[in-house]
This record gives sequence, structure tokens and C-alpha cells, in this order.
Amino acid sequence: MKLLVKTNIYSSLVTLSLLTLGIFLVYRVILIKLDSDIDKQLLIAKEKIIKGLAEGKTPEQFSSNIGEKIKIREIYKQNKSDDDFSEYNLADIDNEDEYSVQRELIFQTTTNDIAYEVSVSRSLSEGRAIGEYILIAGLVFLFLSVAILFFLNRYLSVYIWSPFYDTLTKIKTWNIKKSDVLDFKNTNIDEFHLLNDTVKDLTQQIKSDYQNLKEFTENVSHEAQTPLSIISSKVELLLQLSNYSEKQHELLLQIYRATQRLHKLNEVLILLSRIENKQFIEVAPMNILDAMNEKVQELEDFIEAKGLLVQIHSSGSVFKEVNPQLLNILINNLWINAIKYNIDEGGFIKLTIDNESFSIENNSSLPKIDKAVLFERFKKESTSGSLGVGLSLIKKIIDFFNWQITYSHKDGVHKFKIYM
Amino acid sequence: MRILIIEDEKSLREDVEDYLTENGYKCDFATTVKSSLQKINDTVYSCALIDVGLPDGSGIEVVEYIKKHKPEMGVIIVTAKNALEDKLEGLKIGADDYLTKPFHLSELNARLYSVLRRRNFGGKNTLVFDGLEIDPHEKKVVANNIALQLTKKEYEILLYLASNPSHLVTKEALADAIWGDKAEMASSFDFVYSQIKNLKKKLNEAGLNGFIKVVYGMGYKFRD
Repeated sequence: MKLLVKTNIYSSLVTLSLLTLGIFLVYRVILIKLDSDIDKQLLIAKEKIIKGLAEGKTPEQFSSNIGEKIKIREIYKQNKSDDDFSEYNLADIDNEDEYSVQRELIFQTTTNDIAYEVSVSRSLSEGRAIGEYILIAGLVFLFLSVAILFFLNRYLSVYIWSPFYDTLTKIKTWNIKKSDVLDFKNTNIDEFHLLNDTVKDLTQQIKSDYQNLKEFTENVSHEAQTPLSIISSKVELLLQLSNYSEKQHELLLQIYRATQRLHKLNEVLILLSRIENKQFIEVAPMNILDAMNEKVQELEDFIEAKGLLVQIHSSGSVFKEVNPQLLNILINNLWINAIKYNIDEGGFIKLTIDNESFSIENNSSLPKIDKAVLFERFKKESTSGSLGVGLSLIKKIIDFFNWQITYSHKDGVHKFKIYM
Repeated sequence: MRILIIEDEKSLREDVEDYLTENGYKCDFATTVKSSLQKINDTVYSCALIDVGLPDGSGIEVVEYIKKHKPEMGVIIVTAKNALEDKLEGLKIGADDYLTKPFHLSELNARLYSVLRRRNFGGKNTLVFDGLEIDPHEKKVVANNIALQLTKKEYEILLYLASNPSHLVTKEALADAIWGDKAEMASSFDFVYSQIKNLKKKLNEAGLNGFIKVVYGMGYKFRD
């Protein structure tokens, strides 16, 4: 759920419950006030009655006013002096189901030695009805305004937060290798402005660090070439001399082998950085099936040496516009892996080509490769003597071609599928 | 035969000089484009080894100068791996051959040998040893007047070794020269060993013993 929707819902709920509570409180206060007004009127009536009786009016002379009923009867003796308020329901004359609530004041008074019990009552219903109308009107207004606010908020926040989402989208699609330093829409909201500036600085920093690192790697591999060549040729010259002890010979040989490995490693690193720097721009229409067949021929010796069965399934020639050099390196690496890691006897390699993809399946003594490290440099199976950059090189070329590669493993068969 | 080595890295240049001198060449060197052009004008060279990256310009200028003024001279370009887009481009500008750094000295020697053979001996460019004749043009090997049936790889190995007589050629150099980008796998399969074994067997059968000497753990020598 979006932050905006969530805060909107919460604030609406809180507003709704607080205001509902408030409206009910107002309603209660109004009712109490109305009731106390009625009581006051009843007390005024009481004063008038006492005054009237004192002036010598008979009970019959007190007529009920509009909304006020008066009943006076003589009693033998006054036995209480306080006012007694109560409420009762009075059935409507016209409609038996309806009734009105009456507030009744009963008091006793003695005038000219005659004791009376007087009941004065007024209807509460009218006042309460007004209270209810206010309540309903209040609630309707409340729900309407919360609903309006809710939608207004939604619309407003989408508008207000749009620079934030713009920033988010740009960060999401940012690619350290391809994109430039991020540039954002202007915003007059301080927080977003700060966020954009921070992200911009950050990407600038990352970009320049990455660039430095890349240049450093390139420079190291390029600069290493000459000293490596020197070491290599010196050792080769040393090896030509023959008056060594066995120990010296062994040491020299180890230096030589290590230098050779360093050469190969350096070569791959340079190749990787050349691909990264897009130095393979030339493309030509390449027949994938032909390239595969040629590769199988080149590798015939190795396939025979391992006694591998090679099957090629194809629906015909497939042409792709790619750099021939890189295609050759890609296919070479795929086949070399399929041969090198194949089982020692009775293994197979199956190549399937169609218009959109090709796949290479082979048996292998190696377990399933962990997907997380599949295309990482230098994550190699400890048993092989290889440099562990083969798969990472494959991935790099696939990326460069804008192709896709998937890997799966089933019953000891490794399968790489490439979508072109 | 006189060779001009154009290379600004002193240490590397000396190694090449050493190795080529041992193989019977006379070597001169130059370290800049300017001094190279001077030397090329003053002296007759059979071949020039040209490093592309020179302090005062590109070795390509030297190649172009040679092609224009001394077309009889052989040219081998030596570059760092990334300097030229690919081998084809090196050959397009008129070089006879193309080597990328780092290279095996034996590889350089074999390439130089092959360039010189193609340029100087005209039609007759056969390598002749006691009882063994290798014809690189026809890709034929004759041992004691009997044509040897060699596989492509066996032939390539023999030619490479024969181009570096009396020198140790390491297994790695052989694997790189014969199998190229599959050298690593060739080594892991011990292909060099098995091919040499077959080659020696075929030479032995033709009555030629001791042409290829195994230097244990290191490599091979042709005719000690």
C-alpha cells in the first residue's frame, strides 16, 4: 500500500471518529440545555400557580397553556415541600404508536390553609426532535466533508508527491554503466529538493568512483603487459641455458608457468574491459549454425579425446548481426566449458538452434552451479585449473549483444539457453 | 640477414636481440619513428619488427614508409593486445605478419623465419636438415626421401620446432602456437605430449632418430 493512501486512510479514520464523538457531545449538551430550559419554565409556572392560588384563584381557573398541562387537586395535608421532577410518555391522541415524552413537575403547596398537589408538565419531544435534526445534519455534514477531504487529499498528494515518484523512477532505472549522472525535475518542496540534491551527489560520486576503478583496472592490465612481457622473455631466455641444477630448473619452470597464467588472466581482463568500453562496434551478419559447425570442427580433437557424442538440432540457418570476434569468443567459451567439464566417458553435448535461441546441454561431473555466483568472476570450482572467468566472459558478451542467457540443471545435465 | 627491431622498451628489445642473434641474425635497433626511418634509409634490412606504440608516434607510420620506399623489406607488427582492432587490420596496412604482446620468443622467431622464407627464397623455401626436408609452401615433409604422412597438427608442431633449431621450445609456447585460444584445454588434455609422441614415432619409422629431444618437464628441442 502506498504511504499516501495509508496516511490518508488513517487521518480520515481519526477525523471521522473524533468529529463523530464531538457531534454526539454537542448533541448531549444541547439536550441537557433543552431539558434544563423546560425545568426552568416548569418552575416559572409553579411560581405563577402559587401566586394565583394565593390571590384566591380556584384550581379550575388555571387553564393549560399551549404545551403546558396543569392539574391541581386539593389534598388533605401537605406532606412534602420539595419539587419532584419526572418524565412519562404520553400517547398521541391521533396515533397510538406515537407518543411524546412529557416532563412533569409535581409539588405541594398550602395556601389559605388549603393543601394542593399541583402537576405541571411540558413536552420534551419538540426540543429533542430539534436536537436529533442537529445530530443528523452534523453527521451528514461530517461524512461528506471527510469523504471530500479524502479524495482531495488523494489528488493533492499525488500532485505534491509527483517529484518524489519521478526521483524514485529515475533511481530505479539508473544504470551505473550506461546512465549519466541523474538530473531531476525542479521542485519547490524543500525535502524533495534536498533528496534530489543528495541523490544527484551520490550518483555523481558513484559514477566517478566507478569510472576511476574501471580506469584503474584497465590501466593495471595494460601497464602490466610490458613488464609481464619482459619477465616472460627473460625467463624464456634463461630456460635456453642448460647448466642448471635440478632445483634451479624447477624454480625457473615454476616462474615461467606462473607468468604464463598471469598472461592469460591479463588477456581476459583486457578483453572484458574492451567489451565494457564498447570497442567491438563492427557487426556483420553471422550464420549461427555455421559458426557452431566450424567450432565443432575446431574442437574435434578434444571431443574425440573425451569420446563425446555431439548432436546438433537445427531448423536451418539463423543469421544475427553481431561482432564476429565476440561471437567466436562466446561460442568458443560455451563449447570449451561443455567439453572440459563433461564426464570422462559416454558424455554428450546437445546443441539446439532455432530462430530466436540456441541451447547447449551437456553432462557434467560438476554439481549444479549456484545461480548467485554463476556469472561472477573468479568463482571457480576448486578442482579445475581454469581462471574462472569463462562464464563471466560469456555473460558479458551476452549482455553486450543484448541477448539473454538462462541456466538450468537436471539429472546431471547442465543446460545454457541463449535467447538472441 | 639483418633485422631492425623497433621497440622503445629496452629490456624487451634486448631479449629479442639476444634470441635472434643466437639464431644467426644480425640485429639493429631503433626506439623512435624518426631514428627508424633514418636507419631504414641508411641500411638494407631483410625484415623489421615494429612495435606500434612508440614515443614520438605510431609504428604504423614506419610500416607505411617501408611499404612505399622499401617494398622488398619484410614487416612484422608487434602490438599490445588492444592497440589494433584485430589481426586483419594489421595485415591490411601491409604487414607480413602480426604478433600481440606478450609473445613467446620462439613464436616470434618462427614467424620471422616464415616471413623471410616467403620473401627471400622465392620458390625455393624448403627447410633442409640431415635427411629431413620440410616444404612450408606445399606443407610436405620428406624424411630419407620418403614422404611422411603427418596430421595437420603434427606438421605444424614440426615446422614450429624446426624454425627454432637447438632452442628449447616450451610446451606452453607450442600449445599457444598450435591451438591458439584453445591452448589451455590442449594443455589440460596433454595434447602436445601425445602429438609429439606420434610425430617422433613417425620420424623414427622413417629412420630419423633424435630430431626431437624431450626436455623433461619443460618442453622440446629440435636438433640439439
